[in-house]
Amino acid sequence: MIAFASFAQPPQDAIFPRHHPDVVDDMDVDLGEDDFERGYQRLTCPGEPITSSQAFMRGHGTYVDNEEVIASVAGTIERVNKLVTVRAVRSRYNPEVGDLVVGRITEVQPRRWKVDANSRQDAVLMLSSVNLPGGVQRRKLESDELQMRTFFEDGDLLVAEVQAFFADGAMSLHTRSLRYGKLRNGQLVTVPPALIRRLKSHFISLPCGVDLILGLNGYIWVSKHMSQSQQEGDAFDGEAVYSNRNDEIDGATRIAISRVSNIIRVFGAHFIPLTDTLLLEAYEWAVEQEGDVRDLLQEDVGDALVATVTAHN
Amino acid sequence: MASASTSLSKAEKSYIHSSLCSSPPLRADGRSLFDFRTVLLETGVAPLANGSAKLNIGKQPHEGGGGTEVVAATKLEVEDIENGDGVEGGRIICSVICSPSAYPHLSSNALDELQYDLTTILHQTLSDSSLHPPNLGILPNKKSWLLCIDVAVLADAGNVFDAIFMASRAALWDTKVPRTRPIEYQARGLAPSGAADVEMDTESGQQAQKSSFDTRDMIKTAADFELPDYWDEGEVLGGREQWPVCVTLNILPPMHYLDATPSEEASTPLRLLLAFSFPPDSPAVLQAMRLLGPGELTVAQLKAFTADGEKYARELFAALEGKLREEDLRRNVKARDRFAAR
Repeated sequence: MIAFASFAQPPQDAIFPRHHPDVVDDMDVDLGEDDFERGYQRLTCPGEPITSSQAFMRGHGTYVDNEEVIASVAGTIERVNKLVTVRAVRSRYNPEVGDLVVGRITEVQPRRWKVDANSRQDAVLMLSSVNLPGGVQRRKLESDELQMRTFFEDGDLLVAEVQAFFADGAMSLHTRSLRYGKLRNGQLVTVPPALIRRLKSHFISLPCGVDLILGLNGYIWVSKHMSQSQQEGDAFDGEAVYSNRNDEIDGATRIAISRVSNIIRVFGAHFIPLTDTLLLEAYEWAVEQEGDVRDLLQEDVGDALVATVTAHN
Repeated sequence: MASASTSLSKAEKSYIHSSLCSSPPLRADGRSLFDFRTVLLETGVAPLANGSAKLNIGKQPHEGGGGTEVVAATKLEVEDIENGDGVEGGRIICSVICSPSAYPHLSSNALDELQYDLTTILHQTLSDSSLHPPNLGILPNKKSWLLCIDVAVLADAGNVFDAIFMASRAALWDTKVPRTRPIEYQARGLAPSGAADVEMDTESGQQAQKSSFDTRDMIKTAADFELPDYWDEGEVLGGREQWPVCVTLNILPPMHYLDATPSEEASTPLRLLLAFSFPPDSPAVLQAMRLLGPGELTVAQLKAFTADGEKYARELFAALEGKLREEDLRRNVKARDRFAAR
């Protein structure tokens, strides 16, 4: 089955105001000292003058032209004392210590792994910051170094926490918890990192038998539900932490995983921040519609889903 | 074949395998095995090309990104047959370039290899003599058209071969060959006697007596050609109905599926490309076949897959044909109506 459609056309009758830069707009965009005091967040467009460069310093996302600080990206204005920055709406992930991220191993290096975590640079996972199978507590030896690929190899997905930063701004990860480590029994969905907010817990289990790990970097792991005891039991029984084998997953769970993934994709496409209640409501709506999983990716169904779910909140 | 796929963990691979092989089979986004993602198509996107098309498979609605995006454009160039590279009846050259942003993980060498592979498959299929359009000649033994088909892969979200072939077919469908009129250079006053008694299509009758732009009976002696100023851009390529479409069968023995995403591509050992053309009123013609990947296939399996492939290709062909006609309508009739309504 194949269906063709047209690219979205620009609206025919839209009238875009066009001004010569010399024409003074009736809206005063320059911010003074007191505008910042009020503490409201304002959005900028690239090229929009923010404030005078004599009173403020330019930070990330801005540049100075004609003694004016001008935004170079679309985003929200932030100010720390005299420093004005614009935080871009759409950007790569900006890591902070303590963030939970989902990443993919890109390279195995001496005593460390390189991890793609949707950031500007690859993250680093040191051999010293992973747990040994079986929860043994000891220093990592040369023998561990030689069998690093038995822990993680290229392409493996893992969940980890940002531990620290290197001098060049790359993040260092750690998996020293029973909840962190290699991922299996599911699939990965990617959304813009701005859509994942800092929550109390980024491990969400939905009642439909699906577990979610919301990485703050926009990578979301959707997998079969595993009970806490099972998970921690696994961590102690030796090899299971670094296992590459999936458990038996029944058809209903697979369908639920696909459905949750599609819901996340719809939210990503509509640029709606994800929360557990939102996901749950959306899942219930999707089940109520009695449609196929694939229907969710149709534009009208997706729109209806978003309209229904956001109306409640 | 340079690997265009992203890396995938063993657990993900086995999850995809077992989902595809379970009954009923299930894919990551809930599609059935033979469903395509939504294909977006627009023709006439490049004003300076003779024909062009933009195609996207699986774009996310609302948000700008996502999907395999391909732009194809055709350009006609005049070639000299006597002194240049020209061939009697014209020739076709295809090239495919891939944007580095479509394959950020590939080195520039690997990207070159991939471009070369894609170019070879497209060129060998489309420049075949059985598909050659009849109206690419200008002056026998003197001038002919060179039809350049340039395809750019701007983003790859899987199934890039089908996208390239569909976009090329749409661009070729859209191609207009400029009308030409042969002319002969003559010294003043030496016009052939036959030219005097018939009205010329130049404005001045007096000049027509001595015109050196008489076009009759000149095909054989014509030295050059001119482009008559006419309201449309020319005529369509001859036999444009039979440009082929390609279906990629992703084979995970014993089953197969269509329109793979990058992660599905990475976990499938074998891909079978089948390019079919469907000339009107005659059976389908298999124009090209390629096996990609380390997997194996017996001849009997290959036969069965080819028969299946023809079925999918016919469906794809019919849908694409409908969309192309709709695009023609949008750009001609509807555009004229909209202009008149202003």
